[in-house]
Amino acid sequence: MRRFLPFIILIVGLLAFAADFLPLNRPFGDTTSPIATKLGLDLQGGLRGEYQVVATDTTPVTPDILATTATIMEERINSTGVAEPIVQTQGTDRISVEIPGVSDVESVRKLIGSTGRLDFVPIPSGTTVTAGQALPSDLVGTQLFSGDQISVAQPSFDNLGQPQVEFTLKPDGSKLFSDWTTANVGQVFAIVLDGNVVEAPVVQEPITSGSGVISGNFTVDSMNSLVTVLKFGALPLEIKEVGFLTISPTLGSTFLEQSLLAGAIGISLVFLFMLIHYRLPGVVACVALLYYAMVVYALFRLIPVTLTLAGVAAFVLSVGMAVDANILIFERTKEELRAGKTVSAALEAGFNRAWNSILDSNVSSLITATILYYFGSSTIRGFALVLIIGVLMSMFTAVTLSREMPRWVVRQPRFRKANYYGVKDDEFTIATAPTRGRSREANARV
Amino acid sequence: MFDVIGRRKWFYLFSLAITVPGFIFILLTFVPGGKLGLQPSIDFTGGTIWEVHFANATPDPAGVKDVLIAQGLPDSTVAITSSTGSTGTQCQYVLIRTIEIGLREEPSPSPSASASPSASGSPGASSSPGASASPSPSGSAAASPSPSPSASPSPSASSVPTSSCVSNSSTTSTGVPTDGKLGALATALQAKYGPIDGVLQQSSVGPVVSQEVTTQAGFLIIAGSFGILLWVTFRFHDYRMGATAIIALVHDVIVVVGTFAILGTFFGLQIDALFVTAMLTVIGFSVHDTIVVFDRIRENRIRHKGEPFSAIVNHSILQTLGRSINTSLTVLITLSALLLFGGDAIRVFVLALLIGITSGTYSSIFNASCLLVDWHQWDDRRRAAEIAAQTG
Repeated sequence: MRRFLPFIILIVGLLAFAADFLPLNRPFGDTTSPIATKLGLDLQGGLRGEYQVVATDTTPVTPDILATTATIMEERINSTGVAEPIVQTQGTDRISVEIPGVSDVESVRKLIGSTGRLDFVPIPSGTTVTAGQALPSDLVGTQLFSGDQISVAQPSFDNLGQPQVEFTLKPDGSKLFSDWTTANVGQVFAIVLDGNVVEAPVVQEPITSGSGVISGNFTVDSMNSLVTVLKFGALPLEIKEVGFLTISPTLGSTFLEQSLLAGAIGISLVFLFMLIHYRLPGVVACVALLYYAMVVYALFRLIPVTLTLAGVAAFVLSVGMAVDANILIFERTKEELRAGKTVSAALEAGFNRAWNSILDSNVSSLITATILYYFGSSTIRGFALVLIIGVLMSMFTAVTLSREMPRWVVRQPRFRKANYYGVKDDEFTIATAPTRGRSREANARV
Repeated sequence: MFDVIGRRKWFYLFSLAITVPGFIFILLTFVPGGKLGLQPSIDFTGGTIWEVHFANATPDPAGVKDVLIAQGLPDSTVAITSSTGSTGTQCQYVLIRTIEIGLREEPSPSPSASASPSASGSPGASSSPGASASPSPSGSAAASPSPSPSASPSPSASSVPTSSCVSNSSTTSTGVPTDGKLGALATALQAKYGPIDGVLQQSSVGPVVSQEVTTQAGFLIIAGSFGILLWVTFRFHDYRMGATAIIALVHDVIVVVGTFAILGTFFGLQIDALFVTAMLTVIGFSVHDTIVVFDRIRENRIRHKGEPFSAIVNHSILQTLGRSINTSLTVLITLSALLLFGGDAIRVFVLALLIGITSGTYSSIFNASCLLVDWHQWDDRRRAAEIAAQTG
């Protein structure tokens, strides 16, 4: 194992470097998408909506309905052409939607949130309905047929340039419409979307063609959104917005700049501290930290982990924790040096003794991070995932680079000076043959 | 050699001095009607935060507050925030916190929405297909507390050129809401101060989510502590170490939460959902330090058999002191940088970590280890008494 260690370090380092800096495509799975850093909503702007599917007296929210609802919502969002929306079901009745860098928050929001139930309701004579207002309550449920009978819907414009929606009915709907309009010339029928009358025309003549036009007070946006809703169908149940967040790209980029600056300053100060306080081992620690940061960042890009504001903080924090492993090893090595061991032996002993503490203490962080990941909300999960990767990788760096590099360093004659290690000259013993230290110890034991 | 264990009464006293006031302020949170103690943010209480930029004016907070009161939102706060825009100009924003008004209200086909089924025969509302006109639904919700009757196809916000202060990367809309209560508020504010040319952020949390976040917070902290207790007990085969580690951890939690209760009482500092994350991280880190000391105690007990337990603990503390301080120092350096330069959004989060990790280092050295000594001495005395009782 020990013989392969330098190669493992080198290969992991090279792979991480490639993933960090070279424009590569993903090696597995979706090979067309490039390896890239994913920024969360708070760092690039966008919207996040949380929705609850509302059960009715007759229809409970089943996993099927939840999944269908999420699929329809996703299809609607995709049709607007925004980049990489994330639609996830959560728990028994929740759906969360995240759209990074969205351009037109309000119209997308309407598109996602509307149930999209279109009804063709015959209006009995004696009742007046007005476009833009709710359908009178006694007519709810008296529809001739609904949006599911529409086979094709497409945007168009009337001869005044006003946006409208053309539709073609399926055979069943077409027959119902044809029969009713034939028998009820002069009557009013209403086209109702989610309980509100879009328009209420008078039947001028029988409509037997099975196609027609809906012309409410549309804008181009609302026309397109109605077409989309008709295309992908109505949601099986009504949904309620229970949480909503939108952050403008301006604020996002401010957050990004601030956290990067803060992270850079923080990490530089840690480097400075390590160099001043630990001298030569401090240099080793800084190299180990750079390696650590490179590998962790590569993992963020590969998995990919969506970096949020809290995630950047977790990363900076994890650098502090990665330093901990190095400090534990060095403090221990110093003690062993003072106890009269040779440099190489002190290093091995220091590492072995420190490893227990590194393992135990990191596991405690892993426990809390895992609990956060499994039971937390999405912001918390992002933080927890970064922390988990950070802790695991800091342990990896501790057993590889933080161990192998000092071994190499102490073998170099020019690095064998007491004050390089922060101990006094008389505490510093150099083995005559450091590489054979192990076998000598073994002989001595026999 | 410095005698930590011998002075432990003073350290206990110090810990009490910092936890007791904090604890009192935490309890004040639960005094009904009062506004003392922890100040939960909209993550826990539900509500809306809305930060916007006006194209031609920087409104005064009092004027905005008047509009809010007129809109029936007396329990709101208004603040002016500023930052440097993309072209280097100084931008000022209006930040409004209210009860929840920003969630989209689906116009439900509920029977209460009454368009009166009025009189006979006349095809009054009717019009020939293709030529129907309807009143613009926007703004009609202003006065009505019921769901806005606006139909989905409603006109989008009017186009206003965006300034350098807010780039919503949009050509058609500024994202200013037109429906619902927030839409009404936006309309009223724009009537007074001119057009809003960008929404910096809007965050609305409904009661369902806030309730969940609150219960989740309690659950996470209890589950986290329990997991740590199990791990420490498992690793050290000693429930006393597990229990003292947990006492140190509770100490740290009280220090952090107490500090925020005090800051909340006097400065109105709010805690949000990320605060819970910070607490969990503190819990993990606090035990980090405790474990390093306990690890050394375990090792030294084997090496220095026969020495009194208090001497072994004292020795272990001093041996690990350099590491404990240096590690905490590096973490505190990075956190201080985040606190000073990281911006407002994570300030509370970072401050909680900073206090918690400092407290964690203190409590692992001066509480957990000291309590362990007391526990051992108590056990020894009890055992001695038992032996004495048997033999005597």
